[in-house]
Amino acid sequence: MKEKDGYVDYPEQQMILYVEKEDGKYGPIQTGSYISANYIDDYFYKRHNLEAGLREQVIRGLISPVKYYMTLEDLSLSELSARTSIRKSRVQKHLESGHFASATVDELCRYAAVFNIPAANMLQLLLVKEDDHYESLLILENKAKRICVEQPKTDNPYVVLTKIEERIG
Amino acid sequence: MGAHCESGTVTGLLNHAGLEISEPLVFGIASGIFFGYFHKMKAFTFPTFIVRNKPGQMRTNIEKRIGARFQTKDFKKPADGMKALDALLERGIPVGCQVDFFYMDYVPSWERVHINVHYLTVIGKEGSCYKISDAYFPKIVSLEADSLEKGRFAGGNMSPKGFLFYPTFVPASIDYEKAILKGIKKACFYMLKIPIPFLGVKGIRQLSRKIVEWPKFARDTEHLSHEIMKINILLEDQGTGGAGFRFMYATFLQQAAGIISKPELLERSKELMEIGDGWREISLFSARIGKNRDLGPDKLRQLSEMIADRADVEEKFFKRLAQTIK
Repeated sequence: MKEKDGYVDYPEQQMILYVEKEDGKYGPIQTGSYISANYIDDYFYKRHNLEAGLREQVIRGLISPVKYYMTLEDLSLSELSARTSIRKSRVQKHLESGHFASATVDELCRYAAVFNIPAANMLQLLLVKEDDHYESLLILENKAKRICVEQPKTDNPYVVLTKIEERIG
Repeated sequence: MGAHCESGTVTGLLNHAGLEISEPLVFGIASGIFFGYFHKMKAFTFPTFIVRNKPGQMRTNIEKRIGARFQTKDFKKPADGMKALDALLERGIPVGCQVDFFYMDYVPSWERVHINVHYLTVIGKEGSCYKISDAYFPKIVSLEADSLEKGRFAGGNMSPKGFLFYPTFVPASIDYEKAILKGIKKACFYMLKIPIPFLGVKGIRQLSRKIVEWPKFARDTEHLSHEIMKINILLEDQGTGGAGFRFMYATFLQQAAGIISKPELLERSKELMEIGDGWREISLFSARIGKNRDLGPDKLRQLSEMIADRADVEEKFFKRLAQTIK
């Protein structure tokens, strides 16, 4: 690959690419990600649709929150079982809405730790009103236009403080 | 910055210890180039492939082949692992760590995936934050202790178990000829002769055959589109230096040709750069058909043929490379 063909303008995601320089030597250049520069909107579009579809299934009681987060984070059943140290057959049960209630608080905390969310969010999905519709805070990555939501940890592993503030300016 | 997390981290640590060595040289000597296809594996939600050798092998191979030594340690208890890291940092030692990439908060959300084999260098601590040198980032970044601990002690497949490493010895002189030839020989073995049907060139062929079956694993068209576009990410964005490490390995061969005075390697280097261009076409094609949701049997067959073609050219290439160093 020639050096001139390697440059992509995308400061948000930089990478090293090895190219043929003008003197014929091969070496590294720092450039932007091609796929992110050209298709990041498509990624977020698909992610939005995936979350909305899963949320709908959770609301209708077709799947459990464990399945919701597991799918969003692209974890397999085996992997989630290994990461939480919860037996695979038990995780399998917890994926179903009907058996979700059999999960203990300790198990919910273990799932939440893997998903990197407060344990309380295993029982709630936070939505923010953006323009004329509600959007998942998870998908917005806390970049809602008008409000900021923070969930700092407390010393009590079972309790999270959800702080909602209006964005100023 | 480095192209790849493991070769970049190992190179950075060796450079800091006083050994001037480039990332392509580390990658090549460590026989980093590889291919493996995993059609069904419990740890993954979808078929996938790798384009580098087993995580951890770049460090162990470079250690053996150039005669350097790394101190390594893993831990059962997170508190012990964090304490050991702090103690090394207090002594001014930059420390290589294995982590789950997902918990590295400085990474943009769209890049963050659960993968337990990301490597980075911790270079200091300020208050509750660690200073991190990550090959994928142009600047030193700051990471909360809690996130680093989560990353270092994530469970699951290839769990890091707090694994850390740092060089304790770099030799004053290195027999580069021996190291380079060994590295190339092993890479040729991995690509041509490893007796496992989904590894090496056989793995590329298996991907080309199986990719037409990918729709049956997908939830819907958008999921399939996402997975097909991930081919581009696996070949380009996940720290490969472009074209699934083929460009970096071509650079290694060019540098090796000069170091061991073997001009035939320059020819191989040029050939591999061209082979890499073909992989790059696959990357771009995958991104395009994924974006357009143009994922019917015809397009997947076309993608399959492009991959099969790479298997053919790489088989010939690695045979020539093996001959070159005989």
